Order: sequence, then structure tokens, then C-alpha cells
Amino acid sequence: MKKISIYVLVILILTSSCKKVLDVNKDPNNPTDVQEALLLSPIELSVSDQVYAGNASIIVQNFMQTITANQPNPGIWSYQLFNTDFDGDWYNFYVNVLNNLNILNKKAEAGGRYNYAGISKILTAYTLGTATDMWGDIAYSKAFKGSDDFTPAYDKQEDIYKTVQSLLDNGIADINKNSITKPAGDDYFYQGDMTKWKKLAYTLKARYYMHLTKAPGYTAAQQADLALTALSNGMQSNDDDFKFAYSGAAGSENTINLTFSAVSTYILNDTYVEGFKSRNDPRLAKIVKPAKATGLYTGRKVGDPLGDLSKYSYPTDFYAGASSPNYIVNYSEALFIKAEATFIKSGASAAQPVYQDGVKSNLTKLGVASADVNSYLAARGTLTQANAIRLIMEEKSLANFFNIENFTDWRRTGYPAITKVNGALSDIPRRLLYPQSEILTNNQPQLSAKLTDRLWWDVQ
Amino acid sequence: MQIKPLHKKMIMTPVCIIIMVCASFAQTVLKGHVTGPDSQPVVGANVKLKDASSGTTTDVNGNFNIIYAKPVTLVITAIGFKSREVSITNETNIKIELLENITELNDVVVTAIGVKREKRLLTYSTQELKSEELIRAKEPNLINAMDGKVSGVQITSSSGTAGASARIVVRGAISANGNNEALFVVDGVPIDNSETGNIAGGAAGAGSSRLIDIDPNTIESVNVLKGAAATALYGSRGASGAVLITTKSGTANKKAAITFSSDFSFEKPLLPERQTIYGQGTTGIFYNGEDKKTSQSWGPRMDTLIINGKKAPTYDPYSYFRTGTTTNNTLSIGGGNNNSTYFISYSYFNQQGISPKNDFKRHSFFTKYSTNISKNFTTTFQLGYSNSKQDRLPEGASNGPLFVILVQPVSWNPYPVLNPDGSQRLYRFSRNAPLWTLDNISNTAIVNRFLPVTTFNYTATKWLTITERIGADIYTEQDKYTENPSAAIDLKGQIKDQDVNYRQFNHDLIVNASKTFGKFDLNMLLGNNYNSIYTQSTNLTGTGLVVNNFYNVSAGSTLTGSEGHSSQRKIGFYAQANMEYNKFLILSLTGRYDGSSVLYQQKQFYPYGSVAGGVIFSHFLPESVTQVLNFGKVRLSYATVGNDAVGPYSLQTPYILAGRNTNAGYFPFPFQGQPGFLLSSNLGNPYLQNEKLKEFETGLELKFFDNRISFEGSYFNRKSLNGIIPGIQISNTTGYGGTTVNSASIRNKGIELLLTGVPVRSKDFNWDVTVNFTRIRNKVLEINDEKGITQLGRVIKGQPYNIFYGVRYKRNASGQMLIDDSGLPVVDSEQGIVGDANPDWTGGITNTLRYKQFALSFFFDVKMHGDVQNDVESVAFFYGTAKVTANRAPIVVSGVNETTGKPNTIAVDAQTYYQSRQYESSIQDGTYVKLRNVSLSYQLSPSVVKRTPFKNASFTLTGRNLWIYSPHFTGADPEVSSYGSANGNQGIYAFSTPTSRSINLSLKLGF
Repeated sequence: MKKISIYVLVILILTSSCKKVLDVNKDPNNPTDVQEALLLSPIELSVSDQVYAGNASIIVQNFMQTITANQPNPGIWSYQLFNTDFDGDWYNFYVNVLNNLNILNKKAEAGGRYNYAGISKILTAYTLGTATDMWGDIAYSKAFKGSDDFTPAYDKQEDIYKTVQSLLDNGIADINKNSITKPAGDDYFYQGDMTKWKKLAYTLKARYYMHLTKAPGYTAAQQADLALTALSNGMQSNDDDFKFAYSGAAGSENTINLTFSAVSTYILNDTYVEGFKSRNDPRLAKIVKPAKATGLYTGRKVGDPLGDLSKYSYPTDFYAGASSPNYIVNYSEALFIKAEATFIKSGASAAQPVYQDGVKSNLTKLGVASADVNSYLAARGTLTQANAIRLIMEEKSLANFFNIENFTDWRRTGYPAITKVNGALSDIPRRLLYPQSEILTNNQPQLSAKLTDRLWWDVQ
Repeated sequence: MQIKPLHKKMIMTPVCIIIMVCASFAQTVLKGHVTGPDSQPVVGANVKLKDASSGTTTDVNGNFNIIYAKPVTLVITAIGFKSREVSITNETNIKIELLENITELNDVVVTAIGVKREKRLLTYSTQELKSEELIRAKEPNLINAMDGKVSGVQITSSSGTAGASARIVVRGAISANGNNEALFVVDGVPIDNSETGNIAGGAAGAGSSRLIDIDPNTIESVNVLKGAAATALYGSRGASGAVLITTKSGTANKKAAITFSSDFSFEKPLLPERQTIYGQGTTGIFYNGEDKKTSQSWGPRMDTLIINGKKAPTYDPYSYFRTGTTTNNTLSIGGGNNNSTYFISYSYFNQQGISPKNDFKRHSFFTKYSTNISKNFTTTFQLGYSNSKQDRLPEGASNGPLFVILVQPVSWNPYPVLNPDGSQRLYRFSRNAPLWTLDNISNTAIVNRFLPVTTFNYTATKWLTITERIGADIYTEQDKYTENPSAAIDLKGQIKDQDVNYRQFNHDLIVNASKTFGKFDLNMLLGNNYNSIYTQSTNLTGTGLVVNNFYNVSAGSTLTGSEGHSSQRKIGFYAQANMEYNKFLILSLTGRYDGSSVLYQQKQFYPYGSVAGGVIFSHFLPESVTQVLNFGKVRLSYATVGNDAVGPYSLQTPYILAGRNTNAGYFPFPFQGQPGFLLSSNLGNPYLQNEKLKEFETGLELKFFDNRISFEGSYFNRKSLNGIIPGIQISNTTGYGGTTVNSASIRNKGIELLLTGVPVRSKDFNWDVTVNFTRIRNKVLEINDEKGITQLGRVIKGQPYNIFYGVRYKRNASGQMLIDDSGLPVVDSEQGIVGDANPDWTGGITNTLRYKQFALSFFFDVKMHGDVQNDVESVAFFYGTAKVTANRAPIVVSGVNETTGKPNTIAVDAQTYYQSRQYESSIQDGTYVKLRNVSLSYQLSPSVVKRTPFKNASFTLTGRNLWIYSPHFTGADPEVSSYGSANGNQGIYAFSTPTSRSINLSLKLGF
């Protein structure tokens, strides 16, 4: 009996110390707080990898017939898409990028580190702008509240556009506070050069003003005015390009380079490659590689029987080498925005020199000899009332390789002209589908949108 | 013969007898010795004078003393033996031999917390498998050895890879995302059975279930506790059922018995049938694979193909596989004296798989030593040590060889492997050459594991015992994955090195009191449990290899590393009361109070328990009935079990080291010299509580005709509530990808039947039959109603667990397929449910026939329905290698035209048709009947053995998977789950190593 009471005592002692024994649930693997610089680097990488050149962007390049896969129909190249195809993109945009930008902004504002706050706002504007041009109405004002709102309602696209402009304005205002703390190496894009961030912000303002040239309640002339004003503070040279440099080392390869892998079977589209030939474009050899087996410039036509990968063309190392940069917003785009706005405001002849500057800036960047630049410009002719938008948009899209701006411009202006592919399951898509994850978790009225539906600003 | 010295010993104490004789006038002292039919002493047999209340029990040597006065009848009863009555008049010495009670021999079983109980008094369902049956299966992994034999249990091996994992689910899945596999307990101590051997981003495919570290030869018996009432004492960890393993022990007072057994087996792969008529190419045009490459076999007929004026040769892609071989040698010694027993075993298992570069090797040591420290104090120490090593190549639709081999054109000669410039020689793009991978990719997992258990048993008084059991499960795992650069798939090569340390400590203190009050037998148990699990892993990856043939991470141009720690603890207090009235009425109550470190701090502790009753109704039946129906029992139970089915650190939302995911792998930060963190995508839930399982069970047990037929049937209805769903998807617009909630509910209802019979029992010939049957219906009742979430991948509210969901064909209201104007089925723009992985029922039948020295046993098992996603077939459709693609005539798909509604008459050519097949067409009915095991053995007769140096000797010939009938499945063996034992992988057949058919020869010698 004595023994038993000893055991009972042992049990009692154990009971009283239980709480302490169970207190081992503090995560030893992950920090509970980090400083701004640590957040900025992975956010910037995600902006380049996932917002600019992620899965959604690759799908858009299929729509725009820049690329296609050596696969039979049906597939995304013939517009077979399912809501699940966008789960990853939505996750990357909202969880990886926007929520972390939201946290970065709050942290930076609270700590008075306004350069970080400014960058955070500019990147938020860029990411929201990209998202709304793909999906239309999206969540922002009610988003990022964690368990306080599990089903955030979406904002109207028009409100997202207003948010984008005000984020850019506030971002510029933050930078103008000239706070001492500046990012350095943690800012892959500009290494803390805040002047360049401001130029980017103004260029983006112009970009998003011009998206609304057809939007209900907006006029092309007003938008062109706003864009031109913004551009006066925008990018001034190719050095101002908003680009992400990849080292090309294992694990640090350029995203576009990884897209054209032997496993994905992505190659250039026939429409894209033939375009260079028909324009007699000196950029052909600069952008397109001849097929390994034939030495010819050959794109693949969607719906053709499966071919031999070695008989198709890939992009060159300018855009698609392991250490090529991702040109997210480039100076040429700023010039083409200016050309379009000038054309709207002042006509073709006023737009002509700006348009030519745009073409030149891109050809120079690609290393085209100046004689070839001039003969190409001559061959392309002068802008007229009838051809100005077509020429500006064709050239803009060539300078915006892999950029979803091309899809937006096509929807706004019809250029660069494309026709639906062989075996297409529908007309050419005019938007992306909402992800299945939203259908399962946040049933908003907008989610039933079809690929051929038009966004708010995409008026017929 | 052995008894003689014992008798001498007895006579050595005449003084004692004289004293006794003097002390009790006219009384006689009877000294007795009780043995079994094998002349071994029977320990603990009850010896009573008929009609007297008192009696005695035999000691460890089978001896007893009893005093009697007049001619009387002696009643001897012992568990596992038929009771015997012996008349005595004035004997002083007696030798009594008891006969074994065949049907009752197995009737003491180990229940939760290692408590031994008579099976007839249990109030819940358990099923025991004996050593002999487990060894007969010739499987290195105990889980596979149990396959098809236990009702209510579903076992699925992941693939035919040597050392591959297997999944065991008892009474259906109850957790939406958590672990649904049964808890494994060795001699009272829980052990880890997770699937390991996989490095993230390393070789795709299934790893090993860690139970593989246990040598089946050291197992005495296995008892499966199925329902919550049976496992309630185990608490949380037994919520999905428990498999109790009892290891072998030495026998007291027995000279060392040495047993040597040796197995050798050959394995042949079971491969899917394919077409071999057509060669490489497309639209009937030949591609030679050298300068014209394609992955397809839609080329010309091989019998018409002429190359360089000669008939083209055909090559068998399956020649890649080899005949597997397995050797297994076991040496064990067991014995004991009157104070202690010992058992020592060593075995070496070596399997060379049917896929080259796949092998599994295991050294296992096991020792157990029990001794009586004092009269009332016994202790047992045991230690298991194993060293396991598995080598394998990636499986599945990965960079491994099988994705190519299974669909390789027959016109392609895979040799030479390399081009003159040293690059891979390939017939297609985007994949590695299978033979190249043999020399350039490797994945090795080495595990060193210790399983020590120490048990102290103190018998305080006759009715009170105190047991303290301390056990541990400690292993280190060293994993290494290497992959040379491959231009064919644009990968720059990588080396991954991972070390995992796992430690689990478990303590149980049990106070057990048993007392009889008149017709009441009362048994009370009180206990305390403490369990802690700690894991640590470090991982180093070198990517972009710059030094040839140097397999150290330093060969990588980019080096990344990570470390992880995880710790969780649990404390439990439990009590159990079993009351029996007059051996026919049983009431059992259990209760447990658990605390878990992983839950919300204010609600870390949670209670649960069970109540169960049983009536042995045969007690009331007239003898005329009990002569036929020897035993009848009904039982009823209700139990709740709490469970903390979530990993540690799920309450917080920390920052996580950022990383970059590319098609070349995952690269954690720093990226280009910059460090980086992002907020965790998983929103912590600080208020997490335990989940609950409620189960009602009722059962019927019957024994007929002198126990020659016995039946056991159970019905259960179990439902999980407040189920924890770790990482449940939430709208990403919240800023997070997922969180952890307490909301899932899954119901499983089922019937389990077990019928055993002995149709023939005679001196020379015996025939035993065992039949089991299981039918389970499960349904997901809730995922998260509050947030309106009704689907989690393959788990959908209102549907059975693990359905197949994906792209399907469009059908009209009457279910007819809609066909477009080109003759192809129309694809539905919305995905939907296309199959269900759950079988309608499963069953097994084992027959064992014994004739003199021969024994023949054969075992069939059946799975009725239950869909399989056959990825091999869907890829083979596309590539034109599937068996059906041998017929290349145009196809008129049956269905109606989408626009006209008239029956389709438009023919589509075979290549277009098969190449446009969608997900739905990969779903096949996985029904099978398998002749899983046939075993023929011969035991040398005693007369022959006498002339040898052996005590006994036997030879066994075993065949595994000799026949598989799967009428709707086009692969070879529908019983695989290629991507491992995790919930979401179930029912997927995808380029994993094929399972095999084997012939095993074994020899067993006793010294």
C-alpha cells in the first residue's frame, strides 16, 4: 500500500507539471518578425517570376501567338482552359506578392522607412494593374484581413484602376519624403536608386491611363492628356528600364529561359516568326534562333501534326538566355505610350517622331546596326490617320516581348492583329478565368466569367 | 525425458513432506507435474479439488503441491488446454498431461496498453495473426504480410519497388487530411511508421514505411484493434486503429533452441500488356528515332517495315527489367532457466528488385531478456536494432526511367546508350534515356534504428500488479539523391544530402487490480502515459554540378541548405474497469484524459472514453443446443476518442525562408546573394482544439460443432467530428493560402465478418479454412460549412472519401456521350467526379491442408470495384502503345451528335481518337481476384529427424501473386498507389515499379 501511495504521488507531481511539459509549441524553424530588406528581395523576385512571367503570362503568350507548345489540340493554345489552371497565379499574386507588399508597406510606414513604403506601393500598383487586366473585378479593399474576412468581396475594375493611380501617387509622395534609409542590394531592380523608382511610377501611371481609352465614362483624349503629363516625369532612356537581372547560375535562370524547356516543349509560334519575315525585320536573327536541325526560322502553327522539336525556332539569348533580364516595363513602351497619346491628341505626323524613337530605342537595345535601323524605319513608312494605331501597336508589341501589355493593347486596339488558331474551341479569349480556388472558397458573383467575356474597359 | 531430473529435485525435499503429513492428520500431499502434449511444463495451470473452493496453481516448472484427505477428483484447467479431471485415491506423485485446446489456444490476446485478456470476454472486435501466417507471406514488410487477411482493414502497397511503402487503414479513413493509418505498437510501445526516404525535389515515387525496419521473424503475433472501443486506452494515437505487435520470447526452463531459416526467392515483374505490332512514328510514317524523333508509336506495322532492304528487327522494351532475387537468412536462439528467459535473433534480408538499381537490404538484431529480480518483481529488457538501406530510381511521370520504358517503341534499339560524343542517345525529346539514368541518377536511404523497451512488473499482492514500461524509438536516416546534368531535359544536375534524426520516448505506468467477489470478477486498471516525439532534419543541396563523377554537394555551383526541428509531447491518464458476472455478463468502461502540446494552450487537455457490454448467451442455452452451438456472445460498445491530428506549430503565422520554385527544383534564399523571408502562406489558428471520433459497434460471436466452426461479425458506425484540416484552402484574397480548422466530419459504416472452419480433422489429415469479408461505406459529411468549403482536392462533401475529380466528357440528360462533328466526344468545360477509389467490398479466403508431414496453404483475396486512375494507360493511348491501340481501324464513338441529337455515325481515325482522350478515360474499375499466396511445406518426420543433428527441419515452397484476375484494369496489378501511402495518392497507377510474381524456397532448421 505504501508503494501505491508513492505512485499516486508521482502521478500527482506529473499532473502539476504537465502544463510546463507541454509548452514546446514555439516554432524553432521560422522567425516571428523580419526587417523590410528581407521581405523586399523575395517580393521583387516574385514580381518578376510570377507576376510578369508566370503561368498566366505564358497562357497570354499562347493567346497572342507568340509561343506555342509542340502538343496536339486541344490545349491552352487552342483556348482549352479550366478554372484550375489559374489557381497558382492567383495564389502567387495574392499570397506571395500582394499580402507581403501589404505587410512591407505597413512595417515601413510604421518605421518611417518611406522609401520601402514607396516601393511597396508602386509594386502593389503594378501587380494589381496586371491582375485586373487579366481578371477584371478583383479583391483589394476588403482583402488581406486574414481570419477577419474569409470571403472578401471584389472591387469593381474601375475602382481598382483608381486604386492603382492613387497607390502610384502615394508611392511617389513617399519617395519624395527623402527618408534616409534606402534599399541597396535587396532591391534587385534599381539597387535603391529612388529616382528611377519615381520614373517607373510615372510611366506606370501613363500606362494605366491609356488602358482606359475605351472605358465607359472616359475619353481617349482625357486619358492621353493624363498620360502625357505623367510621362514627362517618366523613363528617359533604356537605362531606366524596370528589369530583373538573372545571374544564370543554377537556380537563378531567367524565367523565360525556363519556359522554353525541352520538357514543356514550348517553341515560337508561326505567327510570331512569320511576322519578322513579312516585315523584313532586322530583329529576326536578334530575337529568333534558327531551328537546330534545319537552320531555318520556323515557328509552329497551332493544330499542325506534332513536329520535331529540333526543327522549330526558339528565342535567342537576348530575351531567353539563362542570364537574360526580364524587361518588365521598358523605355520603349514609354515612347510608344507617348506616341499613341500624341497621335490621339495631335495626329499622325506629331506622333511620327515619337513612334520612330520607340522603334529606334528597341532596335538599338537589340544591337541592330544603325544602317539597318534606318532602312527598317523607311520600309515601315510614315504614320497616317489610318495606319498609326496599327504600326504603333505592332512595334510596341515587338518591344514588349512576353509582356501581357500586348494582350491589353490587342483588346483595346485590335493590334497586333491575330486570327483564331486552327482547332480553336472558341473565339480568341479576352480575359482569363477566375481560379477554381476562388470558386471553392469565396463564391463571388463575378466568378462565372467566360474566356470570351470582355472586361469593363474592353468596350466593343 | 526432461522430466526426470525435476522429479529428482522434488524428492530432494522429503523433510517438507514429512512435516506436512505430520501436521495434517489423514491428509495426503500430492506432488504433481503438469505438461502439455509436447512434454513441456504448463505454467500457471489451476489445480483444484472438485467441489472445493480453494486450489493452487503450477509454478514455472509446471509443479504443484496439493493436500487431500479422501479419494477425490482433481480438476486441472489452463488457458489454451482442455480442462482435465483426474481421480486420486492415495497417490503422492502424479504426472498429468493436458491436451491443447486448438480453438482456445489463441484466445488470450493482447489488448490496448499491452494488457492480456481472454478473447471470449472482449467487448469489441480484434483479429489476431500468428507468426506462422506472417512468415508464410514472405514479405519484408509486416504491413504487406497482413494484406487481405484482416477484416475491416485495407492495405495498399505503393509499388513493386524493393522496400516500398504500404498503407494500412482500419475501418475507413476518418481524417480529411491527417494521418489515417493505424498506430503500430511493439510490446506496448508505439513506434513510428511514417513514409520516409524521400527528399523534397529528389527522386519521385514512394519511400519506405518505417515498419519495414521490423523483422517479421521476431514477431510472435499481431493483434489488430479495430474500433474506438478497443483503442480508447491508446487515446489519440489509436484513433485510426492499432496494430499490436508481440515479439517472441524465450521459454523458461528450456535449453537453448537454435533456429536457422533461409529463404531464397525469384521475382518476375508483372507488366502491363501493350501493343507490339506498330513501330515508332506518327500517322503510319516511320520515325527511326535517330534523325527523326518522336515519342509516339503510331508508325507503320513492324512486319511490313523494311530498313536498308532488311526486315526491321523488333526490340522488347521490357528487357530493361530483370529477375529479382531475395535472400533472407535468420538465426535465432531462445531458452531460459527457472528465473529468466532469453531470445536473440539476427537476420539479413537482401532483395534485388526487378528494376535495375533498386534493392533493399536489412540487418536486424533483436534481443529480449526477462528475469525475476525477486519473487514479486520481474523485469524484461529488449532491444531491436536494424540497419536498412534502400536504393531506387525515380518513379512516376518524372525524370526516372519507367515513364519511357513502359511506352518505348518496339522498333527502337536502346543500345548503345550514348552517342559517340558522350551525350544520351534518345529516340524522343524531353526525357532521359532509361539506360542512361541507371548510371546517372541514384537515390539511397539508410536508416539505423533502435527500439529499446524495458518493462518492470511488480506483483504487490495477489490481486495487484504495477507495471512500468519505458520504451523508445530512435533512428537516424541518411538520404542521398544524385542526378547528373542532362541536356535532354535541361537540368544541370543536383546532389541532395539529407539527415533526419527521429526520437520518440514513451512511458506507461500501469496499476492493475484483479479481484473476484463471489460471482463477480473485477479488473481495474489505472495508468499514466507520457510520449514525446522529436525530429530534426538537415538538408544540403548542390545544384549545377561542375565536377564529373564526384557525388558530394560541393560539386554544385549553387549550394543551399536548410534545417528543421519539430517537437511534440503528450500526456495521458487512463483508467479501465472490466466487470464480469458469472463468466457470462461483461461490462467494460474506459476513460482517458489527454493533453497535447500542439493544441490551443487553454484547451490542451481533453477527456474521452468508452462503455461496452457483452453477454455470453450460450450460458443460458440448454445443453442440447450448446452441444452444437458451443459458444455465443453478443457485444455492444460506444466510444469517443479525442485526437490532436495536427503537426506542431500550427497556431502561429511566422515568416518563412523564401525560395524559388522553377522546373529545375526548389531553391531557397539567399537568391543572388540576398537573403529573404516571406510571411507564411498558412495562417495560424491559435484556437485549435482536438478532433473527436464517435463510434458505435455491435458484434456477434458464435462457435459450433466442438468449436470447429467459428464466426465473428461486427457492425460499426463511426463518425469524426471537429476534424482538424491542416492547411485547408482559404480564399487567397485573405492574403493566405490556407489555415487550420476544426470542422471536418467523415462517417464510416461497415460490416466485418470472419468465419473459420475445420472441415476435416483427423490424425493424418487436417483442413482449415478462414474467410474474411469487409464492406465499408464512407461519406464526407462536412469539410467546412461555415466558410462554405465543400471540396479539398479528392475529398468532396457528400461523396465518399477519395473520389477522382477532373476533366470529363459531356453527356446529355440520359447519360449518352455527346459527340462533335469531327466524331470526337465533347469535353465538358466543367470538371467533375469521374470515379471512386473505395471498393464495394473486400474479402479473403485461406485454406490450409495438412497431410502427415505435408502442409499446403493457399490464399485468395478479392476487391470488388474501387476505381483506379491508370496513368500508364492514358499516356499509352497518346503514344500508341496501349494494347487497344493495336487495332487502328477508324472508330465510331458511341453517343449522340451534340447538335442533331442523332446517334453518331462519324468515324474518327484511331490516332486522333486516342490522342484526344481526357482524364475521365484513365479511370478504370480496379476489381481483382488474386491468388496471393500458395505455400507447400514438408516437415521432416520425427523418426527421420532423430538420425540428423537437428531437432526439427522443414522445407517450404511459396508462390506469391501466382494469378491475378482484373477484368477491367489494363495494367498488370491494380493494387498499387504509385505516389506512396499518403491520403491523396490512393488508387493512382502511374509508372511505378511493377509488382512481381515470385517463387520462394525456404528451409528451416532447429537445433
